[in-house]
Amino acid sequence: MAETILRVEMLVKNFGGVKAVRDLSFEVSAGEILGLIGPNGSGKSTTVNVLAGLIPPTSGSIRLGPHSIENLPETERVAKGLARTFQTARVFPEFSVRRHVTMGCHTIRRSNPFASVLPLGFSSREDAETARHVDDVLQLCSLAQIADRPVGSISSAQQRFLMIATALASKPRILLVDEPAAGLVEHERQSLAELIRGIRQRGIAVVIIEHHMALIMALCDRIVVLNFGSKIAEGSPAEIRANPAVIDAYLGEAA
Amino acid sequence: MNRSLQSLAWLLVFAALAMLPQVLTVKYYLHLSILALIWVIMAQGQNLIQGYTGYVSIVGAGFMGIGAYSSTLIGMHFQWPIWATMAAAPLVTALFALATGYPSLRVKGHYFAIVTLAFNLIIVIVLVNYKELTNGETGISNIPKPWGGSRDAYFYLVLMLAAAMTALAALIARSRVGEILLAIRQNEDLVGSIGIAAWKYKLFAFVISAMYAGLAGALYAHFQSFINPEIFGVAQSLDAILAVILGGSGTIAGPVIGAFLVVFLPEMLRFADSFRLILYGLILVLATIFMPIGIVGVCKALIGRFSRKEAAS
Repeated sequence: MAETILRVEMLVKNFGGVKAVRDLSFEVSAGEILGLIGPNGSGKSTTVNVLAGLIPPTSGSIRLGPHSIENLPETERVAKGLARTFQTARVFPEFSVRRHVTMGCHTIRRSNPFASVLPLGFSSREDAETARHVDDVLQLCSLAQIADRPVGSISSAQQRFLMIATALASKPRILLVDEPAAGLVEHERQSLAELIRGIRQRGIAVVIIEHHMALIMALCDRIVVLNFGSKIAEGSPAEIRANPAVIDAYLGEAA
Repeated sequence: MNRSLQSLAWLLVFAALAMLPQVLTVKYYLHLSILALIWVIMAQGQNLIQGYTGYVSIVGAGFMGIGAYSSTLIGMHFQWPIWATMAAAPLVTALFALATGYPSLRVKGHYFAIVTLAFNLIIVIVLVNYKELTNGETGISNIPKPWGGSRDAYFYLVLMLAAAMTALAALIARSRVGEILLAIRQNEDLVGSIGIAAWKYKLFAFVISAMYAGLAGALYAHFQSFINPEIFGVAQSLDAILAVILGGSGTIAGPVIGAFLVVFLPEMLRFADSFRLILYGLILVLATIFMPIGIVGVCKALIGRFSRKEAAS
């Protein structure tokens, strides 16, 4: 049995009177891909934002490995090994692709950025290590060929891969990807699936939110289905496809 | 341009400036040059928060005033030598910036601009009304000048400090801190999600920029020998913002060029007599509309185009 990376228990998020997430519990293990699906407004993105620390939960607990993280700020969760991408493209358009990914290494670099103001050369070994790690991530995400291009000049599909690469640069134990296939065409979706499988192979747990059902079914080891903020089903892709409650709420008869 | 060519260009600029006291026959121009060099320090600080971090602060002149008044008052009340009061001024300013920066940096964009504008107004109001300490609107005169008031010597002091502060700004800009400031300007949400606590770096940029302004204020006070609250009003803060925009935000050469422009341009327009300020305003508006990347930005684009043509031919 693989090690449990993320354990969510009785998570609740209310916005005023709106119950966006109700008593949600699930676990993700190392090297597992968990799909989070459900109709629009079912609380998927809210869940990711609560897990990542962008918004505080109303109640419930989130454990990352041995750590309780529900009270930690976003930045410290990244340092503990939780990385995420956003639904819409969020990038630094003026940086080169390589510099962009290097920014993602912030939490794994030991030297203090303020020490780099005086160029005394103390961190050159660490810089070389960082550069090797960045090369490795660029290779994994098929961005090596465009590493020196400005981010503002690459395609939106490439920017989606770049967001994943930047998140991976922090050497996460778990990666949350929010609708990574939005706006991708078929062959780009294939590369995305390949990339996410490659990430799993490195022992990283992946939580993926996606509306493209073929991709989700092909990729996920397990799927959690949300509706009105509650978990209505959990199981393998085959079980989910056959679940009457899921068909009723989300998939529809044709699926 | 590669590094060595850039260093050479900077060295030439420095040498040319160093010869000014010998070359300038009209002493008034030397006076203006000293003011411009003080403004170089001011604009380099403003550029760190405005150009690199993308937060337009309108409290620059207020911080300059805190530097000017603290250097003057410490000297008056504690009989410290001028050097000590000048060194203390940026530190006092930094304390004020820490206290005001934390609440202001919680808001972004126009809101940040307005909060800092309010701080500048408050600083002026306090300077006007706390008469026991500041002598109110009358201001303080006979502030001691170093070297018995030698203008040439003061020019070299200000030149050295402007060069040092420009070099420090370049070091910050090229470091990982500078990289993070640029990242904050481009997408602050993403900065947080990759594990960087943006507030630390924003506060750093804000406090450092205030220290630059505090030093500029102290240099101003001991040069002019007279200060009053009006000098440190919002209009001067806007001049600092303009110096950065006109020269080129987020570049090291930009604030140097911009500082000389905001000091010399109004003087050059004296021929227009009573239309002077209108003309000055018009030039600024047109430059901001048609040249938002500043003089350095335009030059970079031209050099880029030129070298591409050369590579193609």
